Amino acid sequence: MKKRILVVDDEEGLRLLYKEELEDEGWDVELAASGEESLDKLEKDSIDLVLLDIKMPGMDGVEVLRRVKEKWKDLPVILCTAYPHYKHDFGTWASDAYITKSSDLTELKQTIRDILGKKP
Amino acid sequence: MEYDIIEQVSELAVSGSPLEEKLEKAVALLADYLAFDGCAVLLLDENGYMRSVAAKCPEALPPYRLGQGVPGLAFTGGALIEVHKEAGDAAWEGIEDSGLEGYRTALAYPLKEKERTCGVLFLRARAKVRLTLLKRQILKLAAMQLLILVKSSEVLNDHHRVYSELLEMQQKLVSSEKLLALGDMAATMAHEIRNPLLSIGGYAARLKRQLPPGSPALGYLEQMGAEIGRIEKIMNGIIRFLKDNAVELKTDDLHCMIDEAMELFADEIAVHCIKVDRRSSGGPLPVLADREQMKIAFDNLIANAIQSMEKGGILTLETSRAGEFAVAKVSDTGGGIDPKYMGYIFNPFFTTKKHGTGLGLPIANSIIMRHKGTIEVRNEGHGAAFIIKLPVAGAAAPNSSRHETGEAV
Repeated sequence: MKKRILVVDDEEGLRLLYKEELEDEGWDVELAASGEESLDKLEKDSIDLVLLDIKMPGMDGVEVLRRVKEKWKDLPVILCTAYPHYKHDFGTWASDAYITKSSDLTELKQTIRDILGKKP
Repeated sequence: MEYDIIEQVSELAVSGSPLEEKLEKAVALLADYLAFDGCAVLLLDENGYMRSVAAKCPEALPPYRLGQGVPGLAFTGGALIEVHKEAGDAAWEGIEDSGLEGYRTALAYPLKEKERTCGVLFLRARAKVRLTLLKRQILKLAAMQLLILVKSSEVLNDHHRVYSELLEMQQKLVSSEKLLALGDMAATMAHEIRNPLLSIGGYAARLKRQLPPGSPALGYLEQMGAEIGRIEKIMNGIIRFLKDNAVELKTDDLHCMIDEAMELFADEIAVHCIKVDRRSSGGPLPVLADREQMKIAFDNLIANAIQSMEKGGILTLETSRAGEFAVAKVSDTGGGIDPKYMGYIFNPFFTTKKHGTGLGLPIANSIIMRHKGTIEVRNEGHGAAFIIKLPVAGAAAPNSSRHETGEAV
């Protein structure tokens, strides 16, 4: 069965781009437009990896990360943001990878392969 | 005319010459007028000696301390002393003054402002000289003029010093406020521009993949992708420049840091036929630094130097210790910086290069400032020299400390 990625980003254009690009890579992709929605989806669906934007209205990515790691401590989370210096915020240290948003998606795709490829 | 001398000294006072020159001329005029062989203005220096600032003297004056010799006594007493070295001269009795060997008459007139004495006008004559009442009055007037000369120059110097200090402080303030404002702006820009850019660039790449081979639109999309990559590169530079970057300080060796930064440039150096002159003082140069960040700072400085020498030259990297500071100097032979741009080179977005982002030097500057260091630039030899000073890590300094400044945006 295909591994399923949950993309969490408040910008619709980016959600769709990620969905198409990652589906081309062979993954199943689910979308959530907010932190709250992402937690609902995680309860209902089986998800193998979360791609998480940090800056979102309402519940932000750091908070979502905290809740995800509390409940599903082995579920990999990749943080995705416009600000590289979030790396220094200890709230983000629990993530499995940290990626600065870039129009070149090579690094993101490679990171996903590294994480999901290793999992049984 | 008896008063000519006063007029002449007054003319000196309003002339544009430097103080020392004015005083030299004034003492010469006075010595001639009063028929003394020597005339000098002595001012108290910071070591408690009365230093001759201007003199018309056949022989050098000995160093006088306060209360010593005729000038020293006139200074402490605050009143004119006139001695004639002859039996029965009460003023001369008990005074020892090696400056008066071979002289018969000496006159010391304190230069007094209200109750504060700042110096002495000292006259010596080999012959016996008795001043007429008129000459004494003129001497008094001339002494006052000399005092005014000295005082006005002090006031002017103070004024210049305070003014340049103020100017320096103002420049520092302006530049730090500019940095803060830019930090806020950059954070917003990073978010508001990076997301749409990702969207445009990402879809352009998808479109490119979906076009049939040979389609002319492939080239357009290629161009779009490259341009978006360029904007993203600039964005990364701006974000690095943000004020609230965390600095992780560890004791590290400055010699090594610069060597490590240099490794990146091996290819470029070879391409541009640049000779590297690495000079380093012996012994370790421990500084408290964030190695990654300092590397970025040195990268920028070295890249800047190399860009100025595209047709070859000498890149000099020097590391040494100067007292409490570890000093790194990056200099090139690329022609130097146009003096009219000197004040702007650390300003964000200022660049004289066709493809420069104008962020290299401001980034280096902000990183060094975060390390409580200084960066200085000057033209030297055939190029520009950047001098970085960082405090040497003391033995008592903690081995590692983490500094978080401000919260993430």
